[in-house]
Amino acid sequence: MLKLTNVYKSYGGVKALQGVDLEVKGGEIHALLGENGAGKSTLMKVISGAIAYDSGNISFINKEVKTNNPHISKELGISIIYQEFSLIPDLTVAENIFFGNNTYKWIKWEQLYKEARELIQSLGFDIDVRKITSELSIAQQQIVEIAKALSKSIKLLILDEPSAVLGSEEIKKLFTLLKKLKEKGIGIIYISHHLEELIELTDQVTILKDGKTIGTVRTADVNKDILISMMVGRELNQLYPVKNPTFKFDNPIEIKGFNSKHFNSPLNFKVYKGEILGIGGLVGSSRTEILQSLFGNFPIDEGTIEVDNTSFKPTNISSMLTRGWGMVQEDRKALGGVLERSIKENISLANLKKVSNRYGFINPNKEKLVLDELITRLKIKMGNAEDNLSSLSGGNQQKVILAKWLNRELRVLLIDEPTRGVDVGARYEIYQILQNLAYSGVYIIMVSSDMEELLGISDRIMIMKSGTISGILERKNFSEESLLRMAIGAN
Amino acid sequence: MKNYILKNNTLIIFILLLFVSSILSDSFLTITNISNLLRQVAPIGLVSIGMFLVILTGGIDLSVGSILAFIGVVFALLSYEVYYPVALLLSIIFGILCGVISGYLVAYQYIASFIATLAMMTIVRGGGFLLSKGAPITVGEHSSSILTLANGTFLGIPYSAIILFVSFGIVYVLLKYHVYGRKVIALGSNEEAVRLSGINVKQIKMSVYVLAALLTTIAALLMVGRTGVGTPNVGVGMELDAIAAVVIGGASLSGGKGTVFHTLLGVFILGMIGNIMNLLDVTSYLQQLIKGVIIILAVIFQKR
Repeated sequence: MLKLTNVYKSYGGVKALQGVDLEVKGGEIHALLGENGAGKSTLMKVISGAIAYDSGNISFINKEVKTNNPHISKELGISIIYQEFSLIPDLTVAENIFFGNNTYKWIKWEQLYKEARELIQSLGFDIDVRKITSELSIAQQQIVEIAKALSKSIKLLILDEPSAVLGSEEIKKLFTLLKKLKEKGIGIIYISHHLEELIELTDQVTILKDGKTIGTVRTADVNKDILISMMVGRELNQLYPVKNPTFKFDNPIEIKGFNSKHFNSPLNFKVYKGEILGIGGLVGSSRTEILQSLFGNFPIDEGTIEVDNTSFKPTNISSMLTRGWGMVQEDRKALGGVLERSIKENISLANLKKVSNRYGFINPNKEKLVLDELITRLKIKMGNAEDNLSSLSGGNQQKVILAKWLNRELRVLLIDEPTRGVDVGARYEIYQILQNLAYSGVYIIMVSSDMEELLGISDRIMIMKSGTISGILERKNFSEESLLRMAIGAN
Repeated sequence: MKNYILKNNTLIIFILLLFVSSILSDSFLTITNISNLLRQVAPIGLVSIGMFLVILTGGIDLSVGSILAFIGVVFALLSYEVYYPVALLLSIIFGILCGVISGYLVAYQYIASFIATLAMMTIVRGGGFLLSKGAPITVGEHSSSILTLANGTFLGIPYSAIILFVSFGIVYVLLKYHVYGRKVIALGSNEEAVRLSGINVKQIKMSVYVLAALLTTIAALLMVGRTGVGTPNVGVGMELDAIAAVVIGGASLSGGKGTVFHTLLGVFILGMIGNIMNLLDVTSYLQQLIKGVIIILAVIFQKR
């Protein structure tokens, strides 16, 4: 039904897809498996026409799809359900289901509700179709999303991590529904990290890695172990600073009983002076939330941080700053830097006191001194410190953000995705900076989706799975496989 | 060269206008007229500087015109009750209070600035009418020195213009050389990043409304001084003139862009347009029309 051959897609310098082959037949549930960043989301967007592919061939029901856009793919009968829903929150369920479905010129409300109700019921669910969509639970919205897809005649249904938001009862219902659709001859692509689910539900599994197809296998022929070993299997290259094997880690900071709505059970862990504690896990496993809670940005219900025999609860950002904590945010554009202001202003932003006198007037000489020191130390490549931050490359922008925090007396550095959007050369430099900081006594807690990076730079890795700590790996036990097992929850 | 023009287009418009005006009318470049022009633009100039600060943070303040009228009335009423300096001081306190309320609503209650200041605009306007019972109030005798303040000159320069330039200077220095300015500008550019750098963004956000109200209060006192009357219906639509001046000065309504110098140029550009058209006896209806066209042209010119 759907056939992709040798599909390529790059975003600027980032190669997202590098030769993907995929064949999905009608009446089959086809799983797509791969770690974070393997290219699954990009692939879905290519199939749904949300983005254009660079080269390769896509055909649907024996016809080549040369130019694609969401409208064409809709006409073809391809429907996709993303992790982020495309429902309009302020409309009723029925309106959402039939949105964009221009059968009538005038809305016949009773008929609209009736048809919507019948559709939902035929899926085996019970949702009030007159309700405003934003009042539904996430799981119910997911069902509405599926109903919306099925309100049109479709041939291929793509679901991206549908089970992530569903309870076990609802997952069962979803599976029954998908099997029913399969019997009708509809092709289904099912993306999920949950290997148990894939094995229970799907007929075929295609494994993606680094934007390439590793292979397609019949689900019946494989087990979890085989799937995991297909997902990993790559050599670490020499991108990482050398660790000092005799370094003594001591004086730990203890995080005790951290709990909030983001976590499923209280978190307890330690980070030692001199180490880089990596935090891994799948998207949505509450990795970032740990850092935000430690930083005082996301309030916690209970829990304390213990360091040097004192204990405190992080309540707000400014008190954490005074304690010497700093956080490099994941989203550099939205949260990290003030892109349309100068490099200078960005570096001074978190410590304006340092460069100003007691009346708050900035001392330009002092500021330049501080700036020059940090720019040399972090090897920031730039034209002029008055240039906007946005004029720099991703790697240098990240260094500027690091400089902003190193401009303070830093005790603990929380860093979320240290090298997202950073080119390989600058990556090594950032790793080197982090390693030097750690050995100089700054506690470092780092979240990363990049498995290679986690294994390369961390001294220990704490793995998260749906809001709980699923395990902690010591460096001597590091392997991509064990990391993945813990993240997915397969033992 | 092209970059230079782009960066300084407000200045170029200003100079062009100055040039054209002096050709169009012989009386434009006379001391009387310039002094008159300065006196005319002083209140709107002060209000625009305040408006610029608010717009810099990505907000907007619609209440300035109402505050202008309200403070005029308050001062005129107080002038019968208390001594002149006390009347001045109390008026300023009332003005600041208006800004504190707007700022609090925006920064701490998360009400969109457009809505919060729209509400303040009506409340304060209504307050002015209530206090004055709808009629203009002549300033009492012991406060008549405000007339000297607003109409007097120093070395031929009107006091009101000096007040405008000093206020401009203070804001300019604050924005360029003070930590406060850094924070305001950065906040307008990326509020979240500033907050996550440990800066109290609520405080900063509130402060710009207070400053805007303070500058508007000074403008109100100059207006009362010029006419000797506190009038509850002055300043209607003044917020729009101020916004126009800020926009002509190249600031972005989404915040983070623009300089106070360019806002001042914007004020003078608008002021000169009005002034030259008065000199040329253009009817006020046509003046409005031409003003609007010029605003559009100025902004299109900046986009290039």
